[in-house]
Amino acid sequence: MTMIDTQVCSNVEDGNGLAIINSKAPFSSAYGKDALDIALIFGSFEQKVSLFFQGDGVYQLIDNQDGSLLSIKDYLKTFAAFEFYDIEDIYVCHQSLANRELDESFHIEGVNVLQSIEFSEALNQHAHILRF
Amino acid sequence: MTTLHLVRQSAFATNDFAQCLSVLAHQDAIVFMDDGCYNLKHSLLNSLIERIDNSLALYVIANHAKARAIETLVTINKVSMTEVVELTFNYNKVITWQ
Amino acid sequence: MKTLAVVVTTPPYSHLTITALNYVEAALQAEVEVIGVFFYQDGVMHANQNISIASDEYQAIQHWQRLHQNYQLPLHICITAAEKRGIVCDALDNEKVNQAFTVSGLGELVELTTKASRLVQF
Repeated sequence: MTMIDTQVCSNVEDGNGLAIINSKAPFSSAYGKDALDIALIFGSFEQKVSLFFQGDGVYQLIDNQDGSLLSIKDYLKTFAAFEFYDIEDIYVCHQSLANRELDESFHIEGVNVLQSIEFSEALNQHAHILRF
Repeated sequence: MTTLHLVRQSAFATNDFAQCLSVLAHQDAIVFMDDGCYNLKHSLLNSLIERIDNSLALYVIANHAKARAIETLVTINKVSMTEVVELTFNYNKVITWQ
Repeated sequence: MKTLAVVVTTPPYSHLTITALNYVEAALQAEVEVIGVFFYQDGVMHANQNISIASDEYQAIQHWQRLHQNYQLPLHICITAAEKRGIVCDALDNEKVNQAFTVSGLGELVELTTKASRLVQF
C-alpha cells in the first residue's frame, strides 16, 4: 500500500464547521436528543453547525408527532429554536423520505430536501462530521 | 474535499453501510473495521466494486478480518491501525458509520 | 500539524471500545498530537469507579488511564451524560469519578472540534 506522507489537504481546502448526521428515529433511543444537545451548544458558541437527516433520522422532522403520549420529553419541540441558535443549514435526504412514503410535511421551517448527490455534496463542505 | 469512511457495522444487520454508500464521493476511501468486515461478503460491496473506478480506495483492518475468519479480496487493501491513523490525515475528514 | 480529537460513545464493556483505544494509541505512537478524547453517551461509563470487569477480560478503563499517564492524554467526560448514568460529579465529593478523567461540559467538545484538524468518532 502506498500513502503519501505529506498532508494532501491545506486549511484552505478544508471545509468549515460541524455537520451532524441524524440516522435514528426520535423516540426509542436518546440519539436524537444527544445530537440535538451538541447542535445547540455549537450554536450557542457561535460555531457553524449543520444538521443532516438520513435513514430513520428523517422521522425526527415529521410533523404531528407527540412524544408526550409515550411519556417522553418531546425534544423535537426544541427544533423550533434552531433559528435562535443560528442553526440554518438543515438538510434531509429525499430518498430516505421516499423510501418511507413520507411527504415533505416537517414540523419546522427551512428544511432543505436534497437528492442523494446534493445531500452528499452539502455534507462534503464541512470540516468535521459526527453521526448519531 | 475527500472523506475517509469508517464502516463498523455489518450490512446484514443495519443500514449504515448502505447510507455510507449513498454519500460516497469519487475520491473517498472506506475502511472496514469491527463487524464492518462482514461487508466484504455482502452484495452491496460486490456492486460497489463493479462500479468503482480506481479513485475509490477500499481498506480493511487486517486483524479485524482475520479474527473473524473472513477472506480478504485482492481489491481491498489490508491495513494496520497505524495505517488507519495515517489515512485519517490523507483525507479531509472522517465519518464513522456505527 | 496533525492534531486529532476523538469522541468515544461506547462503554468500557463494549468490544468496540478496544478499537477506539487501539486507534488512539496508534495515533500517539505515530506522534500525532491527540488534543483530547471526549467521552459522550455511554462512553462516560469509563469514568465510573464502581465498574468491575472480570480480570481475564479486556480492561478498557486501565488502558485509558495508562494512555493518560504515559502521554498526558486529556480525557474529558460529558457531565450531563455522566450524571444521568449515576456518576456523581460533585466538586467536593467526586469519588465516583476516576481521577484520570476531567469532568467537562459539551463546550469542551466545541473547543476540541475547533482546534483539531481531524475529529474521529468511535
